[in-house]
Amino acid sequence: MSRPGFVLQVDDRTPPLVVHEGEGFRLERFPIGTRVVYPPESLPAVRDVDATIRHALLNPEGSEPLSELLRPGMRLTIAFDDISLPLPPMRKPDIRQRVIEQVLTMAAAAGVDDVALISANAVHRRLTPDELRAIVGERVFRSFFPQGLLYNHDAEDPDDLLHVGVTDRNEDVEINRRAAESDLLVYVNVNLVAMDGGHKSVPVGLASYKSLRPHHNSKTMVQSRSFMDPEKSHLHHSAIRMGRLLADHLRIFTIETTLNNDVFPAPYEFLNKREWEWSIRDQASMLAARRALGVAPRKVKRRVFHSLESPYGVTGVHAGETEAVHAKTLANVHRQQMVEVQGQTDVLVMGLPYLGPYNVNSVMNPILATCMGLGYYFNSYRGCPLVRQGGAVILYHPVPNEFSQLHHPSYVDFFEEVLAETTDPVAIEEKFEQSYATDPWYIHLYRTSYAYHGVHPFYMWYWAAHALDHVGDVVWVGADRHTVQRMGFRAASTLSDALEMVSGTVGRSPSLTYLHNPPHLIADVH
Amino acid sequence: MMTRFLRETADDVRMVARGWRWGRRPLVPRNAEPFVPEKEKYVFPTEWARRRPARALREVVQEVGLDPLLRSQVSPRVTGLDMLGRVSPPVLFVANHASHLDTPLILCTLPDAWRRRTSVAAAADYFFDTWWRATGSAIVFNTFPIERRGGSLSSTPGDLLGQGWNVVVFPEGTRSPDGWMGRFRMGAAWLAIEHGVPIVPVAIRGSFAAMPRGRSWPRPGRPPVTVRYGAPLSPGDGETAREFAPRVVAAMSQLLDEDRTTWWQAQLRAARKEIPDPSGPKVARWRRVWEQTAPPRVGRRTDVWR
Repeated sequence: MSRPGFVLQVDDRTPPLVVHEGEGFRLERFPIGTRVVYPPESLPAVRDVDATIRHALLNPEGSEPLSELLRPGMRLTIAFDDISLPLPPMRKPDIRQRVIEQVLTMAAAAGVDDVALISANAVHRRLTPDELRAIVGERVFRSFFPQGLLYNHDAEDPDDLLHVGVTDRNEDVEINRRAAESDLLVYVNVNLVAMDGGHKSVPVGLASYKSLRPHHNSKTMVQSRSFMDPEKSHLHHSAIRMGRLLADHLRIFTIETTLNNDVFPAPYEFLNKREWEWSIRDQASMLAARRALGVAPRKVKRRVFHSLESPYGVTGVHAGETEAVHAKTLANVHRQQMVEVQGQTDVLVMGLPYLGPYNVNSVMNPILATCMGLGYYFNSYRGCPLVRQGGAVILYHPVPNEFSQLHHPSYVDFFEEVLAETTDPVAIEEKFEQSYATDPWYIHLYRTSYAYHGVHPFYMWYWAAHALDHVGDVVWVGADRHTVQRMGFRAASTLSDALEMVSGTVGRSPSLTYLHNPPHLIADVH
Repeated sequence: MMTRFLRETADDVRMVARGWRWGRRPLVPRNAEPFVPEKEKYVFPTEWARRRPARALREVVQEVGLDPLLRSQVSPRVTGLDMLGRVSPPVLFVANHASHLDTPLILCTLPDAWRRRTSVAAAADYFFDTWWRATGSAIVFNTFPIERRGGSLSSTPGDLLGQGWNVVVFPEGTRSPDGWMGRFRMGAAWLAIEHGVPIVPVAIRGSFAAMPRGRSWPRPGRPPVTVRYGAPLSPGDGETAREFAPRVVAAMSQLLDEDRTTWWQAQLRAARKEIPDPSGPKVARWRRVWEQTAPPRVGRRTDVWR
């Protein structure tokens, strides 16, 4: 039996607490009285994953069993979540591999010949063959990739996009042609956080830029409170309208999986534990890790961190009609991540780890760090934001002025050109988005290299729009001063300095809350 | 570079050593303390500690180890031992409790014949939480576990009294956080009535100043500590625990007052019902601690009257 989430009140007995900061972590002594929100402990994993998958496929929600939907001569497309999920990547075998293998086994038994597998990466970068192999497994990769039947979705290929229609709110629905013209589209998802899955899978993952615009914009993001709570997220409302339209045109069989909170593998298990429960071994591991990180060159540190694979356990597999499946999936995610928190706080403190959805095997550049802190972490709430309106946010990350030219070329220009002029998401959207989104060079890099689409940095900035609108002050601890200044923020060396700096906004004795994340959590704020 | 690495390593180690209290009992933040749902039914067996081999071992440990060690670290002064001549075992020793020194102080100040037949009630959740702590304290102090988190009384103290063992009980249930006497629980009075044994009050002063909560060793300088045995109290016919318990508290208060002043002055004050409240003045916490951390001063009297 795992313990539920927990809100610690820091007192004189509390040891220093771990705060992630990029490719490293520090131990911070928080002021007495600080609330620390800990995620629930890892839920027990299902014992027989393959049997659970089989059961889900043969006993789906609101649909006939998958085996009955498969017939000879049909056109079957399997789409799956790309490398942005889960974080960190899952120790092999990936859950998507195990699901896809069973779907294909049933398809082979039913005599289905026309099968294609598509990575639903929308405007994310293409996955390399190795990355595809890591997700679908060797057997699937060898059977489909050489024939060109396992590939990345291309949001800029006019020949492989189909305009399916418009919703009642005039939202264009344009998705991958192969998927749209299939007799059956099977979507295989990994639902790491509450934002994922449901109608966000097909209408967003397989969409074109035209079809992303109705919901990926600053206005929707400010109104989504939060985008981690699908019921109150305008982003999700739009995706649901699109999904329902698609469901009228296309048979979609959704398979969603949920994972537990076993994020850090050995010898970093201490990062999964509550600090006062660290054994001597955990303390020794932490000291060793800290000292090693203290002397390791940046490249080595990056390699070490990016080679981490999480020993996630699977907590549930549900299949069938998208909305019925997603209700069960969300319940599972909430069971694993929801923590009840009483009341808002003046200052919210968050430590950002080395990895976000868009820098797997890459660099977390300043815009991605902002998106991680003010986007994903800030929005990890239900009810109302953890920090009060006009409060302050303190983030830990070194925020080096470092970009991957391979993966994030448009980010470089966004940082140098756009942010130099304004940091207001609305103004940025109006003035710059079109030119970046239609820039032929970015499109070329997106389609042929491994670059994120030209519009992607804009979306990252919109992701932070709600936080930018809500909070009065943002200070980064341990960050590069010039870099955060460009983004309209300030840098501090220590927590005390940061508190001093935000005292103009929140006063001299503010209430503090530290979000002890990762492992992932959602604060249910009352 | 190397120097910096070494310095940072030392800083890290120091921080962890301090944060995780190396060498000391680890602490859990207060609001993270685990919920204790059900009293554990398992009681650490201590009968063996009262059998002949363990008694022989304890005799050596106490005589050769504990007693010289205690006297090398504090300066105990014991008075009122003549009171023991008025009763015969078994009795219930009831003492105020402010320090881990209290148990060894009582054991090392009792006459040998009494000490050898004396057992100590120790908190099950503190002294009996691990096998090695339980075994150690059972050998050295002849402790047995007692539940202090409410619920029914452990049957062991009664059994021991029935077998003729004297039992030391600290009715406060825990060490005083500021040195002043806390609220006495009813258990000791109930035991005395149930088993028809007298209660011998024992007033200890100075142990808080010598080694308060949080210290694992007495402070240097052999601080003075006084142990005073009072007149035995026996429950009257038909007296209930509820009536007897306040008498025990009153006797304890008078004994503390006597230790602070003189027997005669305490008698006079008791007659006038002016015995100072042993739970201390209702003043700021620091003042309470301040007063108790001073070494005990005894009343004006000459050694002739000791």
